[in-house]
Amino acid sequence: MFNEIIVKNFTEPTFASELDEANTSIEIGNPVCGDRIRVQLSIEEGYIKSARYQAWGCATSLATGNVFCGCVNNKPLGEVLGTPTQDIEALLGELEPAQHHCLDMLKAMFEKLRQAHALQH
Amino acid sequence: MSKQNFVDTLRQLGINPMAAAAASVSELFRMPEDQLKEVKATLIIDAFKHHYDNNPYYRKACQSKGIGRDQIQGFDDLIKIPLIPIAKFKSASSHELLSKPLLEIEHEMRSTGTSGLPSISRRCSATIDVAVTAIYAMYREFLGISKGAGLYICPSTEEIPEMGMIKALNMLAGLLDTHRFMVKEERFVPEEAIAQLKGWENQFTRHIIGPPFLIYRMLQFLKQTGQTIKLDRGSRVVTLGGWKRFTGQMISRREFNLLCEQYLGLEPTGVRDIYALVESNAVAIDDEHQTKHVSPYVHFSVRDMNDLSKEVPDGEKGVLAILDPLALATPGMILTEDIVALVPGKSESGRSGQRMEYIMRAPSSLEFGCCAVNLEKKMDQDADVACPVAN
Repeated sequence: MFNEIIVKNFTEPTFASELDEANTSIEIGNPVCGDRIRVQLSIEEGYIKSARYQAWGCATSLATGNVFCGCVNNKPLGEVLGTPTQDIEALLGELEPAQHHCLDMLKAMFEKLRQAHALQH
Repeated sequence: MSKQNFVDTLRQLGINPMAAAAASVSELFRMPEDQLKEVKATLIIDAFKHHYDNNPYYRKACQSKGIGRDQIQGFDDLIKIPLIPIAKFKSASSHELLSKPLLEIEHEMRSTGTSGLPSISRRCSATIDVAVTAIYAMYREFLGISKGAGLYICPSTEEIPEMGMIKALNMLAGLLDTHRFMVKEERFVPEEAIAQLKGWENQFTRHIIGPPFLIYRMLQFLKQTGQTIKLDRGSRVVTLGGWKRFTGQMISRREFNLLCEQYLGLEPTGVRDIYALVESNAVAIDDEHQTKHVSPYVHFSVRDMNDLSKEVPDGEKGVLAILDPLALATPGMILTEDIVALVPGKSESGRSGQRMEYIMRAPSSLEFGCCAVNLEKKMDQDADVACPVAN
């Protein structure tokens, strides 16, 4: 049911915690199934110093939060915002149909980060 | 032969004792009470040891309470088994509940209550194998359905594939000749449901299946429009999903029965309610006297609201703790947020085992109701468009 990326990120949720020094927060919810991912980021001078998440929902949702944080943590914001769509689509690996809503949530997180950045500038 | 020997002997023969028990519901309900308790305790202790050995989070919880792997020896020790609060299933750390690797998880089921947070219940293949047998055996024992047409007054599993309530009700469809879901995109049109029931007349034994509040809507519509339908010999109204509306109003079971009798021509013996939780494989289903019987291999322990380490006597209200030996992927030892009472004395239907009465959701619970309440709330927002009469 779960591919290796999901198993690894669910089983070893390196970035699952709250971030006290966060200055940016994004939250994605799926109104149909109730899954929710909240990401907190500390962004300074165009650099994402750290990213942490909390997630509620299916195993793939929980793994998605960790994948997103792993992808943006300790990276220049410009580089993250420029992540090509096909690279985002590959981040979760091959999913079962019932897990595809998590890919939508992942894309939405990148989009929300873009929006949050645009608002600040 | 002692009950532990019965488990060991079955194992030596290559038979899963839990699967054997799940397939023998009728036989277990007819066992002497003491013997049934022994069988149940043996299976639960087996499951307890499995979780203790394979789940670091649960083992730590046991150790923090001073409970060792071999301290649960018999039925009287079951009360010592540490319980997982049901809120843990919807926490951000629900992954800690796994007693098996994620790779062995075959299915995730959810219940989205009124708090908005989904409760996720994960099941491995071995659990599903037995749970499917167990649920069908309970359906057969108490509903006796093997044919007919099912009018499902709820959304289809196609619309909400992972929702526990719908999944459990949909399993009944496998026993029927035909069925139709009457709630689409959160809209229910009673006229269409009634037309479908009439269309099946004299072709199929008609059953009505769904959460109480939705069937209640149809009954109210029949009442307000002065229509009656005469269901068939062997028809059932099967309900699952709680009797509280999103407005807080309780649907009276007595009134529901009367409406079924008056507008569907169905006696109360044909109305069967089911109690179930997505986090557990236990069910409790009404018999012909509308008394709920608990799955015979599961133990319902009703705890004192002021001291959860103590049980209350049968007949008294308390918080329900479930000891479910079917659950292998996550511990089946759960402290629910439901207030129930066990029915004292002997069963009118002659069955052994526990009988329960659901009282209410605990006032301290963050959940006002289950996914059915959520569904009703969404539907009600659209009710003026869908049906100006039935509410």
